[in-house]
Amino acid sequence: MFFHIVLERNMQLHPRHFGPHLRDKLVSKLIKDVEGTCSGRHGFVVAITGVEDIGKGLIREGTGYVTFPVKYQCVVFRPFKGEILEAVVTMVNKMGFFAEAGPVQIFVSNHLIPDDMEFQSGDVPNYTTSDGSVKIQKESEVRLKIIGTRVDATEIFCIGTIKDDFLGVISDPGAAV
Amino acid sequence: MSTIPSIEPFNRLVRLAARAFYDDISMKGDNQPKTSRGDNRGMAVVVLDALTRRQWVREEDLAKALKLHSKQLRRILRFFEEEKLVTRDHRKENAKGAKVHNAAAAAAGDGPPGTKEGEEKVKMHTHSYCCLDYAQICDVVRYRIHRMKKKLKDELDSRNTIQHYICPSCNKRYSAFDALQLVSYTDEYFHCENCNGELVAESDKLASEEMGDGDDNVRKRRREKLKDMQQRIEEQLKPLVAQLDRVKNLPPPEFGSLQTWERANVGAFANGDPSAADSSRNSQGQYGTPMPYMGETKVEVEIADGVKEEGAESGKNGSELKVLPPWMIKDGMNLTKEQRGETSKVSKLDEESEAKDDKKQDSKDDQSIQEEYIKAYYEALRKKQEEEEAKMRMQQEGETFVSDSQSERQVGKKYKREDEDEGIEWEEQQPTGNATEQYKLADLNAEAQESGDDEDDLEWEEG
Repeated sequence: MFFHIVLERNMQLHPRHFGPHLRDKLVSKLIKDVEGTCSGRHGFVVAITGVEDIGKGLIREGTGYVTFPVKYQCVVFRPFKGEILEAVVTMVNKMGFFAEAGPVQIFVSNHLIPDDMEFQSGDVPNYTTSDGSVKIQKESEVRLKIIGTRVDATEIFCIGTIKDDFLGVISDPGAAV
Repeated sequence: MSTIPSIEPFNRLVRLAARAFYDDISMKGDNQPKTSRGDNRGMAVVVLDALTRRQWVREEDLAKALKLHSKQLRRILRFFEEEKLVTRDHRKENAKGAKVHNAAAAAAGDGPPGTKEGEEKVKMHTHSYCCLDYAQICDVVRYRIHRMKKKLKDELDSRNTIQHYICPSCNKRYSAFDALQLVSYTDEYFHCENCNGELVAESDKLASEEMGDGDDNVRKRRREKLKDMQQRIEEQLKPLVAQLDRVKNLPPPEFGSLQTWERANVGAFANGDPSAADSSRNSQGQYGTPMPYMGETKVEVEIADGVKEEGAESGKNGSELKVLPPWMIKDGMNLTKEQRGETSKVSKLDEESEAKDDKKQDSKDDQSIQEEYIKAYYEALRKKQEEEEAKMRMQQEGETFVSDSQSERQVGKKYKREDEDEGIEWEEQQPTGNATEQYKLADLNAEAQESGDDEDDLEWEEG
């Protein structure tokens, strides 16, 4: 799920940036530092949408670096248990398949794939129904439900299932080609 | 009042649900020791049953009727409120406010509670009222059953469970969360981080060695247990599910909030002949327990369930209804009050129950009475006979009603549907017509009360 929230961060700025463009430098450094990171609490920071407030800088003794407390608005993405996501399959093997929904990696193990889909090894490993009408392979788009998340300080990993109503392949690259 | 005929299936639903889900709920403070004496399991069922026989009821009165401590009852009601079966309302009120409720209860067929003297002394007290929320009950029960079944099914399908993997050589266990680290790019399997052995999914092991012992056997037994449980659920909830299906397309009875309900019923009370309320008070007041709508619906309860309900209250209901089957009362309706009195001279208990039943029957059969009146009135007009003659005729008809007025009944009914206004207008004229005194009085009571009820219900529902 996506959230638009305000976060705060202490930015350290090298003295060489002090000058008329200090503020711009600070913001560009913030974007570079923060976007794409993941915190266990808030999820992935997708984008910074604005800077709310830059506090008074504090010069660190000895180094000359200055610490600015910065409040910024950002869009974060955090997967939840029970959430339905659309994801792109990245890898298929006998144990199941991996998929990505933006920055999040999701693993769907083979017992959470409908029973009528069987693993076919070969050049392009895939899961196929007995009549061949549905095929999950690399680059397939699937709709899945998250049944478990492992949230570390800097990483979120999810377990998904497609063994439920309305889940499964939503577009088949094999059919399109 | 149009909800009354359809209330019975819902009451049956409530009673079934109560027995299915709230049978062994023990309402106990955590600090109280569990002794056999204080075992009040089943109390919840009794309370729900009692509520099916009432509309909005003050909790104190309910407690009194059930011979429960009000604290105990409140705990049960709070539980049901959390379960979304019951709506409650609290308000500060003085004796006057309480009287309004009594009046409303009386008009709705409730007897006024017998705590009158006590209430007048009380100044401002918070009173709690409770009522079954039928619409919500249907949803709650259906949801509950759905959740039960889904949970079991999910467990059986091992759906939504995190797969575990085990390394056969070093017995190290992994979960699906570790999948990313375990992926091997050389083959299709997961590999152990320690020994690089191929990992085996735990459930696969179960499937292959179904006859094995130890951990697997436990799982297998658990599976069997789940299946067994699933079957038993199907079996035991069958009547409840059937009742749910039956009720599905019926409009659930709606009493509205406490205030709308009170206003609706008080309105009826005000419109009605004051003697109507008095008579109801006399007939029921002594018991001090409000008992709305246990007329003909009650009969079905006794037959269908055969459940012995609490105390003297229900015992009385049962007996009185057995003594007076509806068809008997119907005949009696056209007779004078003395004749009705004759049938109810057996005992004081019976007399009271009879009066109550008559009132119910009055309201039920009042349409046929009205038809009869209208017909009589019409004929009187058409033939331009004198009022004396009309009266005579009416009496004759009263006697021969069952046999010879069957065919004309339809005409009367039709007429009544078309012009309900005229029916009421005619009622107002009635005092000039010299009908028998007792006749008029008895029927007017029922008539005015009922029609008033209807109007007010409509008004408030629309508003």
